[in-house]
Amino acid sequence: MKHRSSPILLVMLLLAILGQGFLQRKVIFPQWKRDFNPGKGKLMSSAMSPDQILAVLAGFREITAGILWVKADSFFDNGNYDAILPLIRLVTLLDPNEIDVYATGMWHIGYNFTDEEQRSDRRYLPSALALGKEGCKQNPDTYELFFEEGWLWYHKIDDDYDNAVKWFLQAQTKADMMPARKNLLGMAYQRAGEVDKSIDTYFRLYTDSEKRYEKEGAFQNHQNRDTLESNLDNMLVRSVQRGYQAMQRKDTLTGYDVNPPFDVGFSVKATVVEPRVIRFEGTWNVLPVGTRVRVVLRDADFPGAHGAELDWDAKDSVNLDPPRDQTFMQEQLFVKNRRFNKKVDMSKDPTMYPFTKDKYILEFYYNARSAPPHIQDKFGWSGEGMTDKNFLNTKIRPNGQRVVFTSLTLTKDQILRYGEWVDKAPIVKTANYAETGPDNSAGEDVILKIPSLRSGAGTK
Amino acid sequence: MRPILAIASTTVGEAIRRRVLLVILLIGVLFIVVAPGLGILSARSETTVLRGFMLGVTQGVSCIIAVILTVYMIPNEIERRTIYTILSKPVQRWQFLVGKYLGAVFSLLLMMAMMSAVMAFVFFLQQQSKNVGEVADLMKGPMMYFVQMCLLAAVGIFFSTFVAPLVNFFLTIGVFLLGTFFNPLFQTLQENQNTVPFVKLVAKGVNTFLPNFANYNVQNPIINPTSVIQNEGRYYLGITVYGVVYISILLIVAILIFDRREV
Repeated sequence: MKHRSSPILLVMLLLAILGQGFLQRKVIFPQWKRDFNPGKGKLMSSAMSPDQILAVLAGFREITAGILWVKADSFFDNGNYDAILPLIRLVTLLDPNEIDVYATGMWHIGYNFTDEEQRSDRRYLPSALALGKEGCKQNPDTYELFFEEGWLWYHKIDDDYDNAVKWFLQAQTKADMMPARKNLLGMAYQRAGEVDKSIDTYFRLYTDSEKRYEKEGAFQNHQNRDTLESNLDNMLVRSVQRGYQAMQRKDTLTGYDVNPPFDVGFSVKATVVEPRVIRFEGTWNVLPVGTRVRVVLRDADFPGAHGAELDWDAKDSVNLDPPRDQTFMQEQLFVKNRRFNKKVDMSKDPTMYPFTKDKYILEFYYNARSAPPHIQDKFGWSGEGMTDKNFLNTKIRPNGQRVVFTSLTLTKDQILRYGEWVDKAPIVKTANYAETGPDNSAGEDVILKIPSLRSGAGTK
Repeated sequence: MRPILAIASTTVGEAIRRRVLLVILLIGVLFIVVAPGLGILSARSETTVLRGFMLGVTQGVSCIIAVILTVYMIPNEIERRTIYTILSKPVQRWQFLVGKYLGAVFSLLLMMAMMSAVMAFVFFLQQQSKNVGEVADLMKGPMMYFVQMCLLAAVGIFFSTFVAPLVNFFLTIGVFLLGTFFNPLFQTLQENQNTVPFVKLVAKGVNTFLPNFANYNVQNPIINPTSVIQNEGRYYLGITVYGVVYISILLIVAILIFDRREV
């Protein structure tokens, strides 16, 4: 018997095929991509192995991620930090909603890779930020990773605070953000030099906290309201004493704490005392403790390096293996009795400080925005109460921010004590550096007396 | 309609009596019952792993049942020659095929409903808040998996009209894996600027015409309830309509093939 297909059936078939294609391509796939894609596009592009993909396909992503994270936890306990990195990556690929893994991963990458003297390997920081950015993309409805990203800028990078502000602001738009955590935005605004916005933020948060306390009661709401009230009070007083309000009115600064600007008298000498070991000695004319001068030693051609920092935010992809042939050392020089003297030993960590290039740059940097409040009381939020006749710089940071900055150069032979430097300690120093006696005095003393908050006392 | 329903009910009876399916179902249920013990594997919320595991088991077990149920369906009838007694009665071949398919769907419905009920019960007991809304939310997964398995069963029935069971088994599993896997792969290919235009075109064709099982993997927002889904109802409706249309296509083609087949 010869079968003949009904033309109507064939037409229906054709229409159904076209209809399902239209549904799939135009209606379903765009929404699937946006809302239901387990890896939001990262799964395949990040090259998972076939067995991992099979586990994902079998619908056991979360459990596989959980097992791996428990394994990572045991590596934490053993201090086997290198082994944790691939697990962090794998867990976040398997289950991009594991917020804790992203947060812990960022912290781990940003803070835990250190040398023998507990200096962080800052070559990892762009990866920590990239991991956070990926986490934010994958979890756009919760505040945590936005907050963590802001915290990395605020605390670890401790510079370019406008980036911390940007992420904290995004965190505040999420409904689940804990009220007390919102307060940090006010501080970030201050450090970014945005005093008015800081006051506005504190005021808004104070009003919110008062309403919350009236509505819900609870000790923590009461405590948060009091904290915000105190912050707001301090901020208003400081904005007056530090001459900010006068500057806004374009009044003279006579009589304000930041006037006249104080010359910090920075000078430095770097001596390569042993191969890969450098001693930094120098002066900083501020007597109260709390000053940290940043020193950076890096390849002269380190990609994205400028003004004692890196282009931290340059990466969007997470690369857990930083360039092994590049050197970037960052350290803080603590000032005591108006001097600093610190030996930086890079000899025990050749993977962190490979010194493969021929030329190196030493950068010294001080930024009043990172200073503690009692120093800021004199220097102001943007360094308006600070000067240095040799090294004041208003160009390397945006908006004319007043920082102290200088750089020196060293060669590979000098750092490794090769060639002519085998028996002779290389020394590089600023032109104004003067040797001092054992009492640390260098001629006539000009001592800065920092005024106490609300004292209204003079500056010298 | 009566012949179709009669064939369907007979198929359900046969499926329930098949021990291999019952054993697989029992294993699935046991896994769901012990699932709360796996909460320790979660970094924060133990329900994340619990939901993920239970939904994974439900989907996996349903997939195995759907494939085993359908790959033998037509070949067994031919091999045992029972098909002659059916087709000698006033039953059209298309009625036989549709009846068999509906029987498979009802069997799947029964087995999946049982697993889902156990899952809901275990989840409810495990929950501290005893929130019925969360249990109902969890049930969206099995509901969409059911549509997914109906589509898989249609693929199995379609292949069973012209290939041997063993080949059919691998073909059906292969189509399922490809259909599950292709959405993320397609997205990656489309977004990668280095992909050759021809490959992009082929990928677009495959993504348009392959039965897309990934659409039904809706567990991600269920496991992580913080995800905000826009037009969730519309999406579920869309993929259900898509499933029905695709099943119709597969059944029509299967009928056309089966109609021409010498039995």
